Amino acid sequence: MSATREQVFPTRMTLGLMKTKLKGAEVGHTLLKRKSEALTKRFRDITKRIDDAKQKMGRVMQTAAFSLAEVTYATGDNISYQVQESVSTARFKIRARQENVSGVILPQFESYIDQDINDFKLTGLGRGGQQVQRAKEIYSKAVETFVELASLQTAFIILDEVIKVTNRRVNAIEHVIIPRTKNTIAYINSELDELDREEFYRLKKVQEKKQLEVAKLDAEMDAEKKRLAAEKAALAVEADDKGITEQLNSTTLEDKKEGDKSNNNLVQETEDDVIF
Amino acid sequence: MSDKRTLIAVMGDEDTTTGLLLAGIGQIDPKTNDKNFYVYKENKTTKEQLEAEFNTFTQERKDIAILLINQFVADMIRSTVDSYVEPFPAILEIPSKDHPYDPEKDSVLKRVRKLFGE
Amino acid sequence: MEGVYFNIDNGYIEGVICGYRNGFLTSNQYLNLTQCDTLEDLKLQLSSTDYGNFLSSVPTEGLTTSIIQEHCSDKLFNEFNYIRNQLSGKSVKFMDYITFGYMIDNVVLMITGTIHARDKSEILSRCHPLGWFDTLPTLSVATDLESLYDTVLVDTPLAPFFKDCFDNADELDDLNIEIIRNKLYKAYLEDFATFVSEEIEEPSKEIMLELLGFEADRRSINVSLNSLQSEDISDDLKRSLLPNLGKCYPVVSDMLAKAHDFESVRAALSNVYEYRSLLENGNLEDQFYQLEMEQCRDAFTQQFAISTVWAWMKSKEQEIRNITWIAECIAQNQRERINNYTSVY
Repeated sequence: MSATREQVFPTRMTLGLMKTKLKGAEVGHTLLKRKSEALTKRFRDITKRIDDAKQKMGRVMQTAAFSLAEVTYATGDNISYQVQESVSTARFKIRARQENVSGVILPQFESYIDQDINDFKLTGLGRGGQQVQRAKEIYSKAVETFVELASLQTAFIILDEVIKVTNRRVNAIEHVIIPRTKNTIAYINSELDELDREEFYRLKKVQEKKQLEVAKLDAEMDAEKKRLAAEKAALAVEADDKGITEQLNSTTLEDKKEGDKSNNNLVQETEDDVIF
Repeated sequence: MSDKRTLIAVMGDEDTTTGLLLAGIGQIDPKTNDKNFYVYKENKTTKEQLEAEFNTFTQERKDIAILLINQFVADMIRSTVDSYVEPFPAILEIPSKDHPYDPEKDSVLKRVRKLFGE
Repeated sequence: MEGVYFNIDNGYIEGVICGYRNGFLTSNQYLNLTQCDTLEDLKLQLSSTDYGNFLSSVPTEGLTTSIIQEHCSDKLFNEFNYIRNQLSGKSVKFMDYITFGYMIDNVVLMITGTIHARDKSEILSRCHPLGWFDTLPTLSVATDLESLYDTVLVDTPLAPFFKDCFDNADELDDLNIEIIRNKLYKAYLEDFATFVSEEIEEPSKEIMLELLGFEADRRSINVSLNSLQSEDISDDLKRSLLPNLGKCYPVVSDMLAKAHDFESVRAALSNVYEYRSLLENGNLEDQFYQLEMEQCRDAFTQQFAISTVWAWMKSKEQEIRNITWIAECIAQNQRERINNYTSVY
């Protein structure tokens, strides 16, 4: 048990702390779980779209490759080299936009075409220019599909990573932090109960001692009383004899009253103590 | 992080590259003469060359946002492609004229399948 | 009378060419080719034609359209070289003229490669084998057109074609190169036509002028159409790209040069009977091919004519394009377009 709880002093303050911690962990758990669910939903959505887009890409590329075959048919075969040689500046460029999904930044590629740049103005001037133009358009569309797919794919990779991390956190909270905090709380509670019980026992012991003392005092008092009564009796016999009995009697009575009073006070005090 | 990445690079066979260049993705650095495209030649290009080129595009060049690679070319350096997990540049396997697209081999789709336990 | 002495020099070659002509794929064979399901089937079908087992060294899995095209072209080049080696005198000159067209492409290719500082051997491997000449590799030293001309081109047969190109090309860039290419081609066609009309006997002369005129018209129409979008080409420049022969010359050429939209090109073309319906229906390039093939087919009907070489050459090129097209359709599974080839035999 001690392995799965935190090393703390079992005090009331730590109990409070632990309770706050448990509450925090539970809130965090639900939040993270919700985040993970949102991401997974998005993720599945993206996965589906990737699948679709990849199928679409197959078709698009087929058309595109075919348009190039048309160019070859129209111009003869040196076109590819001509194209490679004519390249200088990219017309088709990428801009990255950012999208926020449950706190995760996903890049979104966006393609744009710089209309001022055209490396292949005169390619196919003498022959096949229209086919070249058509191939250009079809391939531009193909590249757009690629860009879309690339955004999805990047999102996929990033989401994959984030979901893994989030799920790890959720699991850690669920299976480690929460049970451990609960254990700690239970431990503190049991320790505190133990302390209570000890205290109660201790007090009982003290009272027992006090009662014993009182009993002893009472016994002494009784003994004294008896002794005094005995003395009084003896004195009365003598007074009868000497004639001063009256005077003496009054003084001893007062004494006795005082003694009673003090005795009563003592009992009162102990009683107060027991009640507390 | 990705502001400077504006280019699409391509590694592919002659036809694929030509088509994509026609679309206007090609850029040649006037100073260093660095191209952002690489033409694979059947039986001529070696695996080492491909790997070197792949690493240049994915690691050294900081201006590439997307790398398009023919699937059959990717197949030749499959382990390198599969072990690449960075989001930037994004690697995209595309079909070529003579090699139809096979979703089974795609490194990303493979991950998709693994994830959903299919 | 013109046929009397023809056979002394050219009789054998005419026979060979007629043999080649009979080897052209017929519409039946094309029909068989279009039925193929795989490239392997196509290879099998082709082996029963004049192509024989030209693909036998290619393993099945390595069979691609570009390889088929390559092998077909190789076969054509071998046949062409064989014919050239059999000829003598003026006919050799004629054959040389045919190759000049390819030379122009090669020169332009070299220049393009040079200004982009590409590997020389890489470019040379791309050059058309028929347009090869010994000084081609040295072209890569040039940085501007004048030095290019002074050092290399002056020794090549292409030298006269460059005389018109110096006025605007002080610096070689992509735009200029494409213009140079078209200027060269224009000069080449005009020069070829002059050569044919001065040196070649009837009936070849008549047929060749017809064929060259068509080639010139095709270029004119293409240039005027394809330059519609780019503002960099002025009317005068455009006019200087259009060859001065063919059915479009001179009136329609001027109209084409001034045309700035599709409609005016169409209006200009409506003045030429043969090209009246060109822009009305379907693919321009396909129609040109169709017209060209019909002319070539007709060229074979004449006997004692060296022009059959040109007609054979063009037909063969078209045939290779057709095979490539069909192969492409099969490889890419685009069956609905497979009948888009041009066959007249």
